[in-house]
Amino acid sequence: MEIGAQRRNSRLIKITLFFATFWASIPLLWILRDVARMIFAPVIYYDNGVFFTWLKNTSIFVGSALTISVVCCVTAGFVLAVLDVPFRRFLLFATLVTMLIPITAMAMPLYVMIDRIGLNDTLLGLILASSFFPFGAFLSYLYFTSVLPPDLVGMGRIDGLGDFGIYRHLGLPLSKSLISVVTFFCFVSLWNSYHLPRVILTEPSKSIMSIGIEVFYGQGTTLIALMMVIPSVLLYLASQKTIARGIFSGAVKE
Amino acid sequence: MDGGYETFLRILEDFRVVPAIINVLFLLAIFVPLMIITVLAVSLLLDSIDFKYNRTTRLLFLIPGLIPVAVAVLFWSAVVGYDVVWDKSNIRWFIGAISFSTGIGSWIVIQYGSLRSISHEVLEAGVVDGCNRFQLAWRLKLPMISRYVAYMVILLIVGTLQIFNEPNLLIYTNMTTDWSPSQIAFTYAFKNADFAGGVALSLIMLIPNVILALLFVLNTDFMKKSKSSWK
Repeated sequence: MEIGAQRRNSRLIKITLFFATFWASIPLLWILRDVARMIFAPVIYYDNGVFFTWLKNTSIFVGSALTISVVCCVTAGFVLAVLDVPFRRFLLFATLVTMLIPITAMAMPLYVMIDRIGLNDTLLGLILASSFFPFGAFLSYLYFTSVLPPDLVGMGRIDGLGDFGIYRHLGLPLSKSLISVVTFFCFVSLWNSYHLPRVILTEPSKSIMSIGIEVFYGQGTTLIALMMVIPSVLLYLASQKTIARGIFSGAVKE
Repeated sequence: MDGGYETFLRILEDFRVVPAIINVLFLLAIFVPLMIITVLAVSLLLDSIDFKYNRTTRLLFLIPGLIPVAVAVLFWSAVVGYDVVWDKSNIRWFIGAISFSTGIGSWIVIQYGSLRSISHEVLEAGVVDGCNRFQLAWRLKLPMISRYVAYMVILLIVGTLQIFNEPNLLIYTNMTTDWSPSQIAFTYAFKNADFAGGVALSLIMLIPNVILALLFVLNTDFMKKSKSSWK
């Protein structure tokens, strides 16, 4: 039998097994659901389930800001490390200095900017204000400088690749572990972000989790800590799978 | 109309600024070197052997940094005991310990990743030349990740100079109201509604950071374009 058909069959078997297991474990899942409801009751039933609004807002906010930041970071790092761009050193230094400005000093100008374009107290405004991650951009820069030597880029050029082609066919395939690390750190900083949401979002119903949960301080501290940590830990476990030694060994023969 | 250099003078004459700077220098002198050494030691050790619980170890180092800071401070107070927290002579050590434990995890993850991006060939060449594990780490691995290390050193120093969350969350002890320069800037801007003052202090704090960054940039090959990693 060809490999394709074999793979298809084994996938079919897996799906069948999955459904069978699910069917068999419905009673157990039912119990687990009730237990979870009991544990999280003080949070879930607070103020007619405003928690779920926060959860929805947080997922929209983190999802969009994360996508924008990671795409920008990795691309920027690649461009700064590999291509000839004008003012390269200045851009790098500017990235570095952006990280040195305390967030307390950044919050006010960002707020004024968002207010001027009329996006105050909206999720879109928060997303726009949070979608920068200089730490990740610089990390990508460092990564690409060590992983993409000029010889490799030169070979790509000889084979007729343009700038975008080098990014698409050399940069991205080499940067799996970078993307997962940047995604993880960006997620953590957005998920726990406090200052900007505090300044930009004022209405409680439009709030996000990291500032919404303040109402539970003192009564359910451990519960909150648990809820806030779980997504980060899961993402960490997923992201650390891609880190492997020597993805680039032997690409250039002397 | 506020602004002008009088604002800067007014900030520098504030009686709270000097003690705050001393507090931060204390952290800088003791905890930052400790953090750098710990991070490098742990990540090199993890990289040097095939350790079954590698991922779990890094996760355990990381978790304190993932907890929202507000919750973390409550935990910490409970761990060391409230009588220790309330003692004024301990507060610097306490803040240092929190920033230490929340800060190292993420850097261990990054430095471990950077160590993993060193290619096999180089390490094999080292082994062929007769390096033992320590020499491999000291003579090959560390020089090859030196840029990441420089990056870490800058950000750790800057992060300490700007320390805000930890003292701000210990405010309930009434001992850390204006403990660090960042907090004073925050007080100016958001409590006294004196934005000029807050910005002036932030700018003053930015000066050492920029000097530091410039020093690093000019004295290392930090800004060089991509180079062959091991020639």
